[in-house]
Amino acid sequence: MTGNLLTVSTSPHILGRTSLRSMYLEMMIALVPALITGLYFFGAPGLITVLLAVASAAATEYLISLILKKPSTLGNLHVLLMGLLIGLILPPGAPWWLPLVGGFLTVALGMTVFGGNGNYPMNPVLVAWAAMALSWPEAMNAYLEPVALGSGDDWMEAETFLIQLKGDIGALEMFELGNLWLGKTAGAIGATGTWALLAGGLYLVIRRLIPWQVPLGALIGAIGMGLVAVYTDERVAEMGFEEFGAYMNIVWLHLGAGGFMIAAFFLAPEPVSSPVTPWGGFLFGLGVGLMTIIVRFWGSPVEGAFYGVLLMNAATPLLDRIRPRVIGKVVSGA
Amino acid sequence: MKLLNCLKGIRLPRPPAAAPPSPLPAPEKVYLPLRQHQGAEAAPQVEPGDQVKLGQVVGASDEFEAAAVQATVSGTVEAIVPMPDPAGDKVPTVVIANDGADAWHEDLASPEGLLAGLEQVTATRPSRLLRRVREAGLVRAQVNGRPLHVDLSPPMAPQTYLYMTGIPVVRPIDTLIIKAVDPDPPVCPNQSLMGEAGDELAVGVAALARISGAQRVILALPSGVAAPELSALAAQHEWETASVSQTSYPFANDHLMVLSLTGREVPTPYGEPRDVGVTVQPLSTALDVGQVLATGRPVIERVFSVAGVVKNPGVFRVRLGTPIGEVLEAAGGGPSQAGKVVVGGPMMGLALYDLNTPVTRETGGVFVQSAPQVRHFEDHPCIHCGRCVAVCPVNLIPSELGKLCEFRLYEDAAEQNLMNCIECGCCAYVCPARRPMVHFLRHGKTEVLAGRME
Repeated sequence: MTGNLLTVSTSPHILGRTSLRSMYLEMMIALVPALITGLYFFGAPGLITVLLAVASAAATEYLISLILKKPSTLGNLHVLLMGLLIGLILPPGAPWWLPLVGGFLTVALGMTVFGGNGNYPMNPVLVAWAAMALSWPEAMNAYLEPVALGSGDDWMEAETFLIQLKGDIGALEMFELGNLWLGKTAGAIGATGTWALLAGGLYLVIRRLIPWQVPLGALIGAIGMGLVAVYTDERVAEMGFEEFGAYMNIVWLHLGAGGFMIAAFFLAPEPVSSPVTPWGGFLFGLGVGLMTIIVRFWGSPVEGAFYGVLLMNAATPLLDRIRPRVIGKVVSGA
Repeated sequence: MKLLNCLKGIRLPRPPAAAPPSPLPAPEKVYLPLRQHQGAEAAPQVEPGDQVKLGQVVGASDEFEAAAVQATVSGTVEAIVPMPDPAGDKVPTVVIANDGADAWHEDLASPEGLLAGLEQVTATRPSRLLRRVREAGLVRAQVNGRPLHVDLSPPMAPQTYLYMTGIPVVRPIDTLIIKAVDPDPPVCPNQSLMGEAGDELAVGVAALARISGAQRVILALPSGVAAPELSALAAQHEWETASVSQTSYPFANDHLMVLSLTGREVPTPYGEPRDVGVTVQPLSTALDVGQVLATGRPVIERVFSVAGVVKNPGVFRVRLGTPIGEVLEAAGGGPSQAGKVVVGGPMMGLALYDLNTPVTRETGGVFVQSAPQVRHFEDHPCIHCGRCVAVCPVNLIPSELGKLCEFRLYEDAAEQNLMNCIECGCCAYVCPARRPMVHFLRHGKTEVLAGRME
């Protein structure tokens, strides 16, 4: 072996298999069940919206890399994941330009202005979503009545469960829990398939790609706050439920409605904008769950989960200060 | 503690069952560095041209933190040249050409004072046992090990870092942990010795316990490896046994093992197991002590494990001072495209640049990689995913420390407990952005120490 030069570098000399590319790829794979559910019920309009959002995000990143003369980061799929996520939380009946603007805002406003991957303080997908929800409320509410694939019916405009609930508490009795969790309801393309999102999210938790504390905290927060809300809200009280199961049913409806599940498993645990510490992650999730219910019951916006994530993103630096005790650290009494 | 172990750290593949070491013939030349441990250098006691015999002292020093060096072949001293040690620093090294006679030095022949039996050991004063260990130049067989007599003595001065902490500044040692596990698989020199449980081991352990004053002996066995002889010996001598997982890294690390086996937390960054009354010794060191006491001769061999991309990976019994390159050839030769030769193990080892680096008392084995296997770190910003936080065995926030060190805010990093890092490498292993975490943290520690020296 003489004459051959040996490589000298710092330890460790073996590395794990997970790279950024594989991590983002697996996150996209975990979104596939939700995407399939969305496409099954919303068909061509849904597919076009998602594709336009992904294409717009990728094109924006490519142009920005040209303008800034930096190497493009398209290779690690991060931008594609972001584009997919913004596409999935848009309504299927959105006008053609909405996903284009969404992809652009995600990459340009959400990421690049803050310094790209690793540096943005808030989830870029939700930054773009909030900007659009405030700017074009009609376009962002262009929801469609779900039509199963192959039935040949046309899609009708519809209102989501949460919008109807906002106007009239009686909507609680018009929606069936099973349909809501299956995704057979009006809503954003990828946010309606609750079972599908749950499956994808559990996959991410098992693969340890997202910290388990965040979704757990979100579920506990939403269920706990949901129970508090249904028992204290006068409008619910007027409906005259008597059993605990009936109240709990309302909480389950809320978990399956709107963007809660996609927020709990995909948007809140987004690596860059969520805390890294275990307890910080749990409190972060708890905050998302609480905010979701608080906004839905007593706030003016219809959807609380996304605003909850944005708000807790702002608290991330604070939550990151909750640290476990360092093993072996000597506490000096001096 | 078990629960903590499965939540923290990383899972590594189970190392292959270690076979008993196979002896290698003595090399033509041995290279004996005059410092084979952490501490001071010994002064050469021979000159080029001298004839030396087996076990003759070639380096000695009055410094406390220096271990004597003995010839491991008989022959002629050729030169005293600087040679790299595993860390890459040059150390004056005695080169001896082997004459093949393997004749032991005459002074070592005297039979009186041999301590072959257990009763003799328990009847001998600890100070005398310690002197024997010091004369034999034994070193704790681990990278950055210290001379064994230093390791077993009480601290020279009160440990100032323990002032005002509630930990006794000087605490007698009451527990001896003999570890048959290896911290960095698949380099497993200790595991391969598990079959050699006999009187020598009993003598060695008894002597170590007597010198250190430990009443309690814990034998840390690798989990999932059957060692009937060792368990029987432990039962016979009333040693406690504990099993330590081989696959959950880095829980065979000394400090973490002390925590999980005794519940005592070794104070970091400057603390040692003896600060909490524990001493941890590898199985091979215990065997060496037994051999030294029983034969009166210094140890001339080292159990050396060769793992990774070689034709016949295994454990070999090699003469101290054999160039590592020769051991690799004995193991069937390295890969055609040489990549890395790492002394220690894949997670914490030191990459060699010179294959003439000799086998020393502190090196336990090498891990060989071919060129395509060499992994590269990348220059990507931290994405704050928290995977490093999830695995860090000492509950640091490596992502933040890495960023602080990257941007040269070393003192800020020190405030966030940078100095408590044990450099196990778990954070770098799991980092999806492939950041050179250990490099950042190690560099930061060096800078902090340099800054505090000023």
